[in-house]
Amino acid sequence: MSRLIHGVSALLLAGAMLGGCATHPNSELALQQAGGDFQKVKEDANVLRFAPKDVIRAGESLARADRLSSYWGSGADVEHYAYLSRRYSAIAREHTEQGLNAERGAKLELERQRLQLALRESKLSSVQQQGKWLEEQITSLATQTDRGLVMTLGDVLFDTGDAELKNSANRTVLKIVQFLQLNPKRVVRIEGYADNTGGEQENLRLSRDRAQSVADVLVDLGIDEKRVQVEGYGDQYPVEANASERGRAQNRRVEIVFSDAKGQLGAAR
Amino acid sequence: MTFRPLLAALAVVALAGCAADPAPNEQLRLTRQALEQANAVGAVAEESAELKWAEDKFARAEADMAEQSYKGARMQAEQAELDARLAEAQVLTRKSQEQLNVLNTRITRLRKQLQLGEAQ
Repeated sequence: MSRLIHGVSALLLAGAMLGGCATHPNSELALQQAGGDFQKVKEDANVLRFAPKDVIRAGESLARADRLSSYWGSGADVEHYAYLSRRYSAIAREHTEQGLNAERGAKLELERQRLQLALRESKLSSVQQQGKWLEEQITSLATQTDRGLVMTLGDVLFDTGDAELKNSANRTVLKIVQFLQLNPKRVVRIEGYADNTGGEQENLRLSRDRAQSVADVLVDLGIDEKRVQVEGYGDQYPVEANASERGRAQNRRVEIVFSDAKGQLGAAR
Repeated sequence: MTFRPLLAALAVVALAGCAADPAPNEQLRLTRQALEQANAVGAVAEESAELKWAEDKFARAEADMAEQSYKGARMQAEQAELDARLAEAQVLTRKSQEQLNVLNTRITRLRKQLQLGEAQ
């Protein structure tokens, strides 16, 4: 190419000396600019990689402009093909930038996925840590029995004769909800118990209603109903003798029986 | 394209020694296509000097065609085609750059979240 340019410029010079009209100063400038642009793109390894066709066309147009510049009165044509050559060079640069951006994008996309995965893992591990902490909390609030892990909500969480759970139970209930959310396979059975004052039917009803009101709160807070069983046992299975007020208070209770991690719940009484 | 204009052109060349160009119908079609493609990727003359030139030159090419000034029409249309292709390529380059920016923003955000997670 450069030999061609040399040859052409020699011709140009000769033409200019002979006729003084073979080249137009504008066309010479256009030719120089197009040659400069072409030189830059063809020396760029990335351009050759991403836009070889554009480079070839830029070269072809430039060669044509070169050839024409040796003819008389061809100034407009020289400028025209020099223009086309410069355009192809510019298009080559754009296509190269797009190709490079695509490569950069692919790398960044990998990086993004890697980070996303790392973040997900870190979140998961913090959830697992949280779950472990909650499990410890629940275990400390509950006792391991032959029926499984059992948590007792005492009489103080209900008003006398009333099935409505008091606000003071909120913290415990929220912990149970979180625990169940973190352990989606676990299910619970909520068992209500009463003391032996009052009629048997009355006690059965009250014990069942209290258990149900605990279950309702769990469901309201987003636990699937299917994971919550409700039983009312009336004055059966007292934990203390009903002889004293203290003993009766201990017998008025709601027990939450947790299944194991696989969802296996001990049989109801 | 047909035999007769070619013969006529040859005759003109023989007579006058200067080439008369055939009607550049194919080139005009290519240019129109390039303009449509540039528009399709979202290039607009208000934002792209190249597309503005392309449209102006194409209009001149069509005017030249009407006047049967075929050489002028061909040259205008050829330049317009490449102006339009450059405008199209510039839009696509900008879009690819914008995509990179979006990715970079996301990555920065992810890194920040990860650091926050570690700090906790």
